[in-house]
Amino acid sequence: MPTAKEIVRKFNDLKTLPHVAIRVTQLVNSEKSTMRDFEEIIKLDPILVTRLLRLVNSPYFALANKVESISKAVVYCGMKNLRNLVAVEAIKDLFKEKGDDPVFSRRHLWLHCATISILSDMIGKRIFGLPGDDLFLAGIIHDIGLIVEDQVAGDLLRKACMAYNPPKNSLVECEQEMIGTDHCKVGMLLAKEWKMPEEVLKAIRFHHDTEKKNQISSVTSILQLSEYIAGKMKYSAIPDKIDPLSPLLVRHVKNMMGNYKLIIRDLPTEMAKAKELYENNE
Amino acid sequence: MNEKAVNEDFDSVFSDLLNGCEDLHTFLQDLQKLVPDAVFRLYSNDGCVVPEDDHLGLESETYDSLIKDVAEDGSVLSFFELPDKSLLYCRAVPQINSVLFFKFPGCSAGLFPNQVTLSLLQSFIEHALLKKETRVVKLENEQLIRQSEVRNEQFRKLLADNHQQYLLIQSKEKEYAKTLEIEIDRQTSELREKNRQLEEASRLKSEFLANMSHELRTPMNAVIGFSDILAETDLNEIQSEYCKTISKSAAGLLVLINDVLDLAKIESGKFELENDSFSIAELIKNVDDMFKMAAKGKDLCLSHFVDSRLPGVLKGDANRIRQIMVNLTGNAMKFTNQGCVDIRADLTKQTEDAVDVRFSVSDTGIGIPEERQDAVFEKFTQADGSTTRKFGGTGLGLAISNELVKLMKGKMTLTSVTGKGSAFSFTIPMTKSAQEQTEKTTKDPAESHVDMEGDRKIRVLLVEDNKVNQRLTGIFVQKQGHEVGVAGDGMVALEKLKTGKWDLILMDIQMPNMDGREATIKIREIESSPEMRDQYESLYHRKTPVPIVGLTAHARKEDEEGCYSVGMDAFLTKPIKNQRLAEIIQDQIRRIRALEKESPLVKPEE
Repeated sequence: MPTAKEIVRKFNDLKTLPHVAIRVTQLVNSEKSTMRDFEEIIKLDPILVTRLLRLVNSPYFALANKVESISKAVVYCGMKNLRNLVAVEAIKDLFKEKGDDPVFSRRHLWLHCATISILSDMIGKRIFGLPGDDLFLAGIIHDIGLIVEDQVAGDLLRKACMAYNPPKNSLVECEQEMIGTDHCKVGMLLAKEWKMPEEVLKAIRFHHDTEKKNQISSVTSILQLSEYIAGKMKYSAIPDKIDPLSPLLVRHVKNMMGNYKLIIRDLPTEMAKAKELYENNE
Repeated sequence: MNEKAVNEDFDSVFSDLLNGCEDLHTFLQDLQKLVPDAVFRLYSNDGCVVPEDDHLGLESETYDSLIKDVAEDGSVLSFFELPDKSLLYCRAVPQINSVLFFKFPGCSAGLFPNQVTLSLLQSFIEHALLKKETRVVKLENEQLIRQSEVRNEQFRKLLADNHQQYLLIQSKEKEYAKTLEIEIDRQTSELREKNRQLEEASRLKSEFLANMSHELRTPMNAVIGFSDILAETDLNEIQSEYCKTISKSAAGLLVLINDVLDLAKIESGKFELENDSFSIAELIKNVDDMFKMAAKGKDLCLSHFVDSRLPGVLKGDANRIRQIMVNLTGNAMKFTNQGCVDIRADLTKQTEDAVDVRFSVSDTGIGIPEERQDAVFEKFTQADGSTTRKFGGTGLGLAISNELVKLMKGKMTLTSVTGKGSAFSFTIPMTKSAQEQTEKTTKDPAESHVDMEGDRKIRVLLVEDNKVNQRLTGIFVQKQGHEVGVAGDGMVALEKLKTGKWDLILMDIQMPNMDGREATIKIREIESSPEMRDQYESLYHRKTPVPIVGLTAHARKEDEEGCYSVGMDAFLTKPIKNQRLAEIIQDQIRRIRALEKESPLVKPEE
């Protein structure tokens, strides 16, 4: 059975993240990068420039003035936000797919990822008072491992999905059994190659791990909370199947029930605002 | 999304986490606080009953039938009399999907509640409901506060980031400016160095040119000089013919050398124009005279015209204008086989103290095809390759003329039709001369050299290192009837001045041991000191300084000035022409005579 590394290597032979996205991520991680460097790189991809400006001017950012240049976008939104947008644009194409497979669907998964990123962002801000940058990014790419597995071992992944029967077993267990690794490990390796921040890598690696005791306000825990809520709202990764919430998080939700109610109430509005981000404009 | 749908969503999301009756509990608690004496029971549509223990003491069937009635009634508060005569109040509370029952102790059927009591009870329920709503609003508010705190923090961070960006960009810009400055400095010094090298190269070149002209003129001097001398000896016809050929070829070669040197000078920017008074009419006539014989030989008519409105005397470089006109006329003669050559000078513009003069030479020769008209002004080029063979010439003449005209702030123009002829012309600005009137009275040096006084035999000391030149110049001097002595350099010359009596010194400039300048300085030094002067036979008896004539192969203006600056009295460029040398010697003799007459008391002998 292949290791996570081998799967990622095979995937990289088939698909690569646009060079621009990787350079942008590196830039954001560097202290010395200027918005000019940033603009220089983005400019290499004129389509990306147009899309970014459209996103920046969408209701999600609710900017008072129209932004016409990348460097202005950096000024108004910050580099981290722009990095996230670049990431969205870069991986969006990976989720495009023809047909509708009821067992595993990339298009469905994209909707899941979008919901998770918006939810995580909301939970972070509203419950914990945390900035949503990393949460948003983690939400968007946390299940990238599934795409990799689908690309490299699609049949095995489908078998795993069919064997997945919560709460009797978990998706990760089924993947281990069928493929020999799981989307958390695979996703983390790929994200590492894409130079994603440490916190995001950790969240990808452990977003299905209910045993590990994470801080409730950690990216990992917030992802798990979002997974649970999204799953209940029919936005699960694998249609109609979700893992149960860990007891620690159950207690947390129970204590904050009123708060979560509000988040669920406002989710549709927030999703609508971010429509520009998630809709596959095919 | 409407309220109901949200609630359903919410329920389905948290159904496994939620105790469905919890909301009802809090509602009831709130209500209880408002009406502490009352006993409550709440039935929700989902089947929740709060509190679990029934304190009202009714049958469950009674509740069921009452719930049905109340549901139909809406949210109106109604009351029933219970069997024990007490009153049971009930009301549907759609906000929490429930029906509420309650009663007050001691409130019996005998005491029917009045309107005030009923509305009071109603408002208690509304109040409890509001309290529930308030809790949500409070949460909402808390979330909003947290969100706005995040926003503030993000905004603060954005500001900090942007400031950081500003600093970064600024420092990068400074760095860039610095490197730019360094680069400019580097390039500037590089350019300076290159410039220095170029200047040095140019200096070396002009030095080389000066030396070249010396090297070239020295042998030319000999060739021309000796062929002249040879021509005057007793020769048979063939020898005389050979001698003429040598003379002519040498003269041609000298012209060529002068051309090349001129061009080099012009190109190196060292060329300087003279600005002396001269007569245009005379100049044009000279040129015409020069070609008279040739025209007769080729059976061409040669005519010249000078605009009568032109001032008699103008200031300019007569030699160079003559050179151009000779070149143009020579070309016209060369390329014309029949018809005429016309030389003209016209006035085109006149102001108070300046005129524009248009010089032109036109012919009826072979003409120049239009596409070659620009090329004829280029160096080493003629109208076409074959012409070179047919007509000969270096192709330098027009290029030099063109450059000279440019130096004179004019422009050479050419109109030509193939087979019909060509016309070259140039217009140059010239200033009027102040000495126009006096000019006429100045005597012609060519006439005055037959002056009786100058016709005297003197002793000439020739200081010259080159053996051939020693001989040639020696012969010239002797032929003029003077006595000649030779010194190989400045040192020897000084020795000779000690022992012999010399009336005039011909002093070469470039010599080994002691050159002409140094020797001249020395002689002038000696003359000014009575003690030293006494040791020199040639000097001690003199009332005036001994005349020294510089001989140099360098035709540069600064060489001439150099000669005068060390105290020489005259200056002669090699190759030395017999005629010119005679003139200079006569001039000097005359000058000294005149001086001696004016100041006979200079003798410092007493």
